[in-house]
Amino acid sequence: MTTARRMSASVAAPEGVGIEVAEQFADATQQRHAAQLGMWAWLLTELLLFAGLFLCAAVLHVTHPAAVARAARHLKVWIGAANTAVLICSSLTMTGAITASRHGWRRWMLRCLLATAALGTLFLLLKGFEYYQDYLEHMTPFLDRPYALAGEPATRLYIDLYFLTTALHALHLTTGVAILLGMTWIARKPRFLHRHQNWIEVYGLYWHFIDLIWIMVFTLIYVVPR
Amino acid sequence: MSTSERAFRDPAPAPATIGRPPDYLHESHTLRSWFLTTDHKRIALLYLAAITAFFVVGAIAAGLIRLSLVVPNGEIFTNDTYNKIFTVHGVVMVWFFLIPSIPATFGNFLIPLMIGARDLAFPRLNLLSWYIFVGGALFTLADLIIGGVDTGWTFYAPFSTTFSNTYVIPALIGVIIVGFSSILTGLNFVVTIHAMRAPGMTWFRMPIFVWTHYATSLIFLLATPVITIALILLLMERAFGIGVFDPALGGDPVLFEHLFWFYSHPAVYIMVLPGMGVISEIVPAFAQKRIFGYRFIAYATIGLASITFVVWGHHMFVNGIGTGAAVVFSVLSFAVAVPSAVKVYNWTATIYKGRIRLQTPMLYAMGYIGLFVLGGLTGLFLATLAIDEHVHGTYFVVAHFHYIMVGGTMLAFLGGLHFWWPKFTGRLYPEAWGRISAFLIFIGFNVTFFPQFLLGYLGMPRRYHDYPPEFQLLNILSSAGATILAAGYLFPMVYLIWSLWFGERASANPWGARGLEWTTPSPPPAHNFARQPIVDFEPYAYPDPPADDDGAAHVG
Ligand code: HEM
Ligand SMILES: [Cu+2]
Repeated sequence: MTTARRMSASVAAPEGVGIEVAEQFADATQQRHAAQLGMWAWLLTELLLFAGLFLCAAVLHVTHPAAVARAARHLKVWIGAANTAVLICSSLTMTGAITASRHGWRRWMLRCLLATAALGTLFLLLKGFEYYQDYLEHMTPFLDRPYALAGEPATRLYIDLYFLTTALHALHLTTGVAILLGMTWIARKPRFLHRHQNWIEVYGLYWHFIDLIWIMVFTLIYVVPR
Repeated sequence: MSTSERAFRDPAPAPATIGRPPDYLHESHTLRSWFLTTDHKRIALLYLAAITAFFVVGAIAAGLIRLSLVVPNGEIFTNDTYNKIFTVHGVVMVWFFLIPSIPATFGNFLIPLMIGARDLAFPRLNLLSWYIFVGGALFTLADLIIGGVDTGWTFYAPFSTTFSNTYVIPALIGVIIVGFSSILTGLNFVVTIHAMRAPGMTWFRMPIFVWTHYATSLIFLLATPVITIALILLLMERAFGIGVFDPALGGDPVLFEHLFWFYSHPAVYIMVLPGMGVISEIVPAFAQKRIFGYRFIAYATIGLASITFVVWGHHMFVNGIGTGAAVVFSVLSFAVAVPSAVKVYNWTATIYKGRIRLQTPMLYAMGYIGLFVLGGLTGLFLATLAIDEHVHGTYFVVAHFHYIMVGGTMLAFLGGLHFWWPKFTGRLYPEAWGRISAFLIFIGFNVTFFPQFLLGYLGMPRRYHDYPPEFQLLNILSSAGATILAAGYLFPMVYLIWSLWFGERASANPWGARGLEWTTPSPPPAHNFARQPIVDFEPYAYPDPPADDDGAAHVG
């Protein structure tokens, strides 16, 4: 805290940073601890939500290596890689927002939050483009049109899992962007950091986590089985 | 005895009604103050009302099932109707009654009181999870009753995704929604227990009730998302044809069973662990004795919560998992018996040479111990590969899990309800009626479900109402037992509600029990404690039993 205050002195109009203690907590430390722990617990359940899908894909990979490799080679690994880069950048901007919030630099924090939301949206656009490419290449076995790898049933389950996993991730990211925009809207008011700096910290965990999940999706679904 | 110990264990008698600060029930009376409350105690009562309503629905369905089974050849209902009825029963009882029952009501009410906190860590989240629960459950219920679903509570694919002609999709959506309420409750409990304990309330000073809820919450957090994803996959397959389970769509039906049981076996421990916590509070209070082997019970709780994640395969012995895997799952399932038995021995040892008072909660607790042993032992039969080949999919399985879920969890629920009723409401229930209903339930339960072991052993399959005439006698016995059981449930519903207005007023600690929750007035004030408690005593600090055997020594 002291360092933060000292550093903020060099910047124009820094704000006081803190949290409003809710009545069930004894003090701010306890509240911060509880909020962080709560987010970690939520992330744990999210991890298990995806784990089921990863496990299915992994088992399929072990039982039908050739078919899975063929299916995986149809995935657009370059788009996936570009998206990985986009999300890593967004984690960087999110970290920027957290650091700025700790120092009470509200303006910078808002800019970083908007940049994070923009990168998240870019990811979704790229993802949509990728789905469109899949559609053009007849890699959508569940739609009522010919399927490129119809001869091999095991590829079908893999591709279905690919769609389900990436769609679930995209859903998380969409929610994430929505929350981010909502939070930016609230945070534009002066004195936000005075009362709710904690929100930025806790939300940051969630954003990094979505990023991490994507890295797992990319490695486990796109890269490893090729 | 140190000062704070005296202050918190034997609180001064509550001040007279006049001039006493209003308790949580009387603080305000508007509807709004109930439906928008963030007080964990009021939310607990909201849950109590909701799950009681769902229990009644599930029980009516059970009554219809037993009615249909009175005659062979399934003459009373059509096959379709019968399938829909047992689906209502299973879905409502498992998902809308048993899973939230003890954690969402007693856990919600008591965890903050027991650890000396003012509320749960996230009170608004707590209210939200009630709304999610009620919303999701009512949605499903409307679907089950107006439309009807015939898959059973297990939603096995590909029947549920491809072949069933009933309204499966809304049911799935509702159950997925209710799952989020479990997750949020579990999250709230875990954080509360980690971060909100009163000064001096170390982990090994927590009552066993809190330990079991901690373990249950971990299962909520780790297992519920797996059922969520499994049901989402079902939904995607049924609604959009994205094949995951149906072989015709490139899927694998055994995969569903793996995902389903990876959750649903731990879920049976969601149902049973909180009950064990309740029994661990009742038994020492009514034996007036320190609980035997406190640490062993705490470790056994965590042990159960861990082993429970690696035994799901015992539901799939005859469904095409390999012999090697089956043997491993069988051995692991046997291992579950060890921590379960540790608990039973510890309760028994607690009772041994205690100053036993056979009041209603203790009657329920004793019933629990006996029935849980029977249910657990038959679980071991089922975990034995050779026997399971024979009785899988029969009434033997039905009897096994009813011994644990009804004989265990339901008795613990009722025992706990009577034990903490004075704390919840500030009123005592009529003791004589309590004892009568406890006996009725115990007898009715055994008459209903013991014949099902025999039926199953003789080969009567579950989920069919068309059975050969030679099974009729045992089925009639079972249905007759169900009527006794129903009477046993009706009594508490009537006299507990009666006691809200006419029951004797309860003191802060009517049972002479130990634990922080008994140091607050009955009912407690809105913020639980007048000042922050400081804990410098062990849990279950009951006075040591008399050294001689004639029991003449005085209490304390
Ligand atoms: C000693 C511990 C236990 C063991 C070894 C055990 C073993 C088993 C086995 C092997 C089955 C599968 C039988 C079959 O389908 O062929 C089974 C079914 C079942 N058990 Fe247990 N069990 C134990 C405890 C419990 C508990 C504590 C509960 C509930 C609170 C429970 C609830 C169930 C249910 C609901 C089923 C049937 C599920 C279905 O097919 O609908 N069990 N048990
Ligand atoms: Cu099981």
